[in-house]
Amino acid sequence: MKILIIEDEIQLVQSISEYLQTENYTCEYALTYRQAVHKVLKHNYDCILLDLMLPGGDGMQILEEMKRLKKMDGVIIISARGAFEDKISGLQIGADDYLSKPFHLPELAARIYSVVRRRNFGNSNIIDENELQINLLAKTATINNVELSLTKKEFDLLLYFISNRNCVISKNALAEHLSGDIAGMLDNYDYIYAHIKNLKKKLNDAGCRNYLKTIYGSGYKWEI
Amino acid sequence: MNKLLDLTLRKFIRYAALVLLCSIPAYYLLVDLIWQHELKEHNRIVGETVKQNLQKLTLSDQDLHEKISLWNQLRPETKITPADQYRPDSTYTIYRRNKYIPAKGLDRFQVLVTYFPVNRKYYSITVENNIEESYETVLGIAVVTFLFFFIMLGGFILINRRISRRLWQPFYNSLEKIRKFDLHQQQPVFFEATNIAEFYTLNVNLEKLIAANIDTYQQQKEFTENASHELQTPLAIVKSRLDMLLQSHPLTPEQSKIIDDTHRALSKVALINKNLLLLAKIDNRQFSGNETVNLSSLLQDQILLFRDLATDKHFRIKQKIAPEVLIAGNITLVEIMTTNLLMNVIKHSKNGATVYIELSPHQLQITNSGTVRLRETRLFKRFSSTSPNVPGTGLGLAIIQKISDQYGWIVTYKFENNSHSFCIDFNPPALKHT
Repeated sequence: MKILIIEDEIQLVQSISEYLQTENYTCEYALTYRQAVHKVLKHNYDCILLDLMLPGGDGMQILEEMKRLKKMDGVIIISARGAFEDKISGLQIGADDYLSKPFHLPELAARIYSVVRRRNFGNSNIIDENELQINLLAKTATINNVELSLTKKEFDLLLYFISNRNCVISKNALAEHLSGDIAGMLDNYDYIYAHIKNLKKKLNDAGCRNYLKTIYGSGYKWEI
Repeated sequence: MNKLLDLTLRKFIRYAALVLLCSIPAYYLLVDLIWQHELKEHNRIVGETVKQNLQKLTLSDQDLHEKISLWNQLRPETKITPADQYRPDSTYTIYRRNKYIPAKGLDRFQVLVTYFPVNRKYYSITVENNIEESYETVLGIAVVTFLFFFIMLGGFILINRRISRRLWQPFYNSLEKIRKFDLHQQQPVFFEATNIAEFYTLNVNLEKLIAANIDTYQQQKEFTENASHELQTPLAIVKSRLDMLLQSHPLTPEQSKIIDDTHRALSKVALINKNLLLLAKIDNRQFSGNETVNLSSLLQDQILLFRDLATDKHFRIKQKIAPEVLIAGNITLVEIMTTNLLMNVIKHSKNGATVYIELSPHQLQITNSGTVRLRETRLFKRFSSTSPNVPGTGLGLAIIQKISDQYGWIVTYKFENNSHSFCIDFNPPALKHT
């Protein structure tokens, strides 16, 4: 899978590409508007991460250009602007998702995973993970062909872990994933334990191997 | 509170009343003096005429006596009587009952007694003349005075009104404009041209003052906005770096703890930053759009989310939500407002507490128990979190207030029966201007 990171902050580019490489993505990057236009027009990517404020131009114009040329790459806008209007107009022009800075890397990875899956596996969108099988369209999970009864949140969490295979996910990232901005107002993340405990129990009871590991003091990891 | 022109009017009226009141005795004395003077003169003429005419006649004593007796019977008001000796003239006033028209009561008389010789004998003649009684004079003057006073009063009020309408109009215009001025609207105020020097100076300086205010406010807003924007990318770098750090091996529990703590603090900074941006955006009226928001279903959804958070803090949520409550507003803002309200109440609830959420067609009220009344004056100000040991950005209530302001809703805080209660009135009565 090929990802293009269009972002002028080199440190952020480094973090993103390092993290995504562990998920077996190949990353390229563009630091300026000119570089970005050049790369976007010349190559095809599975997903493009697009910052809107770039030296030399507005990222939104790249999006418009892509649309004009009917380029089908998936696009996730990553912007400091975070304005609701930007979000709406970005999605209208043809971006697949919008993530406002600052974000957690696992959150970004989950969004990329979802965009890539949606684009590449349109109709038969099924993830096979040994005995575990997830149907993204029907939003169901089965273990050895037996369906699990997961709540919406548990299913969401399961997908989140799988899209961050072999990476440690902090409790903070999970809290922000589950409750958005509210996470910043909470003094404890106890409610996450409840959801994860339930998910783990359901997986174990159905005979799934213990992929979901608790990393003491750090968070959780889907190890495979 | 007194109005400027009413104050001067009142002073004028008081002064006019005093002057007119003093004029009543003065007029009386003057009128009475003239009366007396005129009647004295009249009495003297009558007396002198009778005297001289009598002296001109050559009558025998017997004849004279008969004539005088007849005279006295016919004209008792000019009575002639023999006198033992010559005396100087005397004048006085006397109150006496009129014996011919008794119903008239006491009458005042001006009297002249003068002595003269006829046939080598002395006689006195008493000339009396009815003079207006003093109380009648006073009454008449008072009536006229009061009449004039009321005419003057009416005149004053009329003139005052006309002055206020014409002369002071520019002043009142300026006053009205200042009253309507709202810094948040960022609309400069232009005063009407006036050719009165004082008003002109006032208007020019007010314009300067307001322009400076708007400018300062604008700068402050832009600063907040820019600072918040500029912070987003460094925050993103720190956050992603921490996420990477977490992937390194081996990581001791202590190191993990440090990362976790840093993440939490970072989340809070990010949220504060986001909220500051949000406040600036609301100020800039960047949330346009007046959709119809179904507050009932929005609240139901949010309560579901908060129940999830509520269980681990062990408190109950009791709700009474009227169905299909529709309000006009920007959906994003309404959502932010209700989230902040709910978050605020949950954050400040102790374990085992109950939170009441009540939505009626015009009002949303959220109540939870508490021990101490919060400081209302600081409550809706930015960063005025009343309890330091509770997490939060210190911006939640400021955001609620700002959103309510945009739509003309009214937020109130009450502390009753050991409960905090926040209420948003979506349909407040028209604001009263004082």
